[in-house]
Amino acid sequence: MNWIDYLILVGSLLGIAAYAIWSTRGRHDLRSYLKGSGETKWLTIGLSVMATQASAITFLSTPGQGYESGLGFVQNYFGAPVALIIIAAVFLPIYRRLKVYTAYEYLGHRFDPKTRLLGAGLFLVQRGLGAGITIYAPAIVLSTVMGWRLDVTIVCSGLLVVLYTVLGGCDAVSLTQKYQIGVIFAGMLAAFIVLLARLPAGLTFTDSLALAGGFHRVNAVDFSLNPDRRYTIWTGMLGGLFLALSYFGTDQSQVQRYLCGASLRESRLGLMFNAVFKIPMQFFILLLGVLIFVFYQFERPPVYFNRSAWDYQAAHGSGGRLRALEADFNEAHAAERTDLRSWLEARHAGNAAAESAARGAAAAAHERVEAARAETGKVLRAANPRTTANDDDYVFITFILDHLPHGLIGLLVTAFFAAALSSKAGELNALGSTTTVDIYRHIVKREASDAHYVAASKWFTALWGLVAIAFALFANLAENLIQAVNILGSIFYGVVLGLFLVAFFLRRIGGTAVFWRALAAQALVFALYSALPISYLWYNVIGCAACMAFSIILQAVIGPGGKGPAAAAAA
Amino acid sequence: MKEPPDDKETGLPGLRSWGRVYWVVLGIMAAWIVLLTALTRLYS
Repeated sequence: MNWIDYLILVGSLLGIAAYAIWSTRGRHDLRSYLKGSGETKWLTIGLSVMATQASAITFLSTPGQGYESGLGFVQNYFGAPVALIIIAAVFLPIYRRLKVYTAYEYLGHRFDPKTRLLGAGLFLVQRGLGAGITIYAPAIVLSTVMGWRLDVTIVCSGLLVVLYTVLGGCDAVSLTQKYQIGVIFAGMLAAFIVLLARLPAGLTFTDSLALAGGFHRVNAVDFSLNPDRRYTIWTGMLGGLFLALSYFGTDQSQVQRYLCGASLRESRLGLMFNAVFKIPMQFFILLLGVLIFVFYQFERPPVYFNRSAWDYQAAHGSGGRLRALEADFNEAHAAERTDLRSWLEARHAGNAAAESAARGAAAAAHERVEAARAETGKVLRAANPRTTANDDDYVFITFILDHLPHGLIGLLVTAFFAAALSSKAGELNALGSTTTVDIYRHIVKREASDAHYVAASKWFTALWGLVAIAFALFANLAENLIQAVNILGSIFYGVVLGLFLVAFFLRRIGGTAVFWRALAAQALVFALYSALPISYLWYNVIGCAACMAFSIILQAVIGPGGKGPAAAAAA
Repeated sequence: MKEPPDDKETGLPGLRSWGRVYWVVLGIMAAWIVLLTALTRLYS
């Protein structure tokens, strides 16, 4: 990165944050601090919902998934439109009618205080841990890109988002997210255009798809019923539906975004905006990764994308073995490139036999390439177990640094940071609100002034920011980053969703039954997660179904007692 | 917070009820799945 890139990075991030703080100055009542001015329109809500979900991990790690595994991950989002429709039609009108600050406040209305605390507690644990991962991802990027210390990067980026979230509250979060997502889209589009321009002459877009398809990178939809497969249309439609229903409908970081809408209509349209654009957005990001895969079939990539890990070990101890593997890799890649050029010529000449032969030879060479890369990863992890297990997270940033012009590098790095800050801000805002409304105001100090609760909310937001920074500092992530976030979410989300579905649809069930059965369902999910090798998306279904089924059974045993005082209000 | 009276109106041309909006969104989702399935069949 040169001074132009730094100027874009620092100027954009500080400028957006400063503008948000200035625009939201002087808001001292709890309602406007936690729910905004009440004037937010659907586009701001839609972009805010999108920005909260699409963290830096989405833009950093997903192209890497596309590079390594192809388009299959897009199936994860097939259930999202249906979930968003259910939320817009059922959840949202109830939240707005009860004028709740948090989703868990609704559980208190419908059931009892202990169930409200359980919902809030599960959210705080799950989102508090997830917030650490959200802040860890861009820190890896920058520490790798610029040779900064990882801990300094985590602390600096963490403190910036804490600053404007604490000072500006809900409106500052929505406002920054709107501009940040603009920077993100501009950056991703620029990367896509440059990538297309840099594909070899004569290689058309359809050639690229055919080439990627030959290496199983265009398998977007898998109808397999094998439960061991992580991404199929069934896990996406069912597991993805439950994950999205839980995340968008019951996770306060999302609920807070659409509760700030000027009206029910604005909030609904904001959700429908996401229902329409979620699948194409994820497809586009994965396609970017697939095209980077095609690009690197003709342009030699590094044997290991995490160059700093490779360079360090090459200079300290494992150098001989690593250089031998790199030589194998380079030789195999050169052979593959030659075979692919033959394949391209045969394809354009319409020579099916030559095309098939060249493709077979390229596939054999590609296996050698992948074997050298995998062995390099093993050597690096054997030398230093803290080396990130998944090299794919470094694919996109490597492409950006090696092949984009200055200015665009700055724009893309800014986009990663904008994504990190936008989702982080939404999370911190929600963590602070939930702690204030569902714990502090509900249990510790019931009667106090608005100014007192606003001050408390600011302190809690800052505290959660520090917790997230501390967690990120000590994180040692073994999985692909986006999967780590989704796995963590899936372990908790099913049960939380079960609580809400019981509240919305099973009106005879009372607080006592649902409280104890939710705890039992969560224990079941923990046990199954450690024992079964099934796709993590199924835990959303299992947790939710277990919570609902256990509650129905227990309610039948204990009778109608334990029903919440305001069940009728929620109906 | 007072709900504006136009909450039942979607404000979208040609889509006056929320039910219609939801069906259109479902249609777009189905179209994407069909398109991605076709892409898979075509290039795998």
